[in-house]
Amino acid sequence: MVFLQEEMSWNVLISPDQLSPKGLLLRKSIIVRLLEDITNRKASNEHGYYIAVNELKTISEGKVRELTGDVLFPVTFTCITQRPMKGEILVGSVEKILKHGVFLKSGPIESIFLSEKSMSDYKYMGGENPMFMKDHSKLERDTAVRFKVMGFRWMEAERQFQLLASLAGDFLGPL
Amino acid sequence: MSGEEEENAAELKIGEEFLKAKCLMNCEVAIILEHKWEQLQHMSDGGADQVSQVFEKSQAYVKRFSRYKNPDAVRQVRETLSRYSLVEFELCTLGNLCPDTADEAKALVPSLVPGGRFDSDDRVDKMLNDLSLIKKFE
Repeated sequence: MVFLQEEMSWNVLISPDQLSPKGLLLRKSIIVRLLEDITNRKASNEHGYYIAVNELKTISEGKVRELTGDVLFPVTFTCITQRPMKGEILVGSVEKILKHGVFLKSGPIESIFLSEKSMSDYKYMGGENPMFMKDHSKLERDTAVRFKVMGFRWMEAERQFQLLASLAGDFLGPL
Repeated sequence: MSGEEEENAAELKIGEEFLKAKCLMNCEVAIILEHKWEQLQHMSDGGADQVSQVFEKSQAYVKRFSRYKNPDAVRQVRETLSRYSLVEFELCTLGNLCPDTADEAKALVPSLVPGGRFDSDDRVDKMLNDLSLIKKFE
């Protein structure tokens, strides 16, 4: 999984009771608020998943919002992100086995579907511990799998990506 | 990059952000997240609450799937791969997936093949050999 370190800008809103004449305390409020905002945002179609704020670079002069008295501070920072990409080879682990395919997860990506149709010759074996098998290799819960990203889409309501995976190709499959 | 349709990592037709921004390997992200996690634990009020689910899942993932753990080894992996005129995205994919053979490397990163950077498998083998040496002495 290839991660990115990107530079971003954001507006942090600080309410008047958090404003402090002590510069360090104000800086801390801004950092805490920025971390909250990024956590709540979770992901976007543009940047992918927001994993961690790495470094706060600049805090520009605050602008007072006249109606509320809140102060808006434009900040720039670097952020570790992850955005899925078509054609990328990823490693993930099996989350759930169904008759018509397997759900995988990989890093921040929770919804990856590997259809039985794109699993080449793996066959479903039902039972108490369902799995897919081909010769001696098997896919069961928690198996690490190397797969190719066939496509993905952004789900605005859940603020996450859905991926479609495939094992068609050399050197893909359980590790 | 105008539309998602054209994007294809296999041909290195990737979003501009992947070419401009710095790409990171699993092992590099593991080190950064470990450091961030400690920082958040030490923030007096509510820092620990700032660890998001996305953070936790990513951290668990990079811990499980990093081939290299030692920070010196991680640095060496990047240095070594940097000598082979790879673009950042290829460099990270190779550093993450650690292929064993030239055929495996070319199957996983097909963009290595055209362009004449690796006109013989020997050069790919040399690169993979350099990587496995780092692992051996980690």
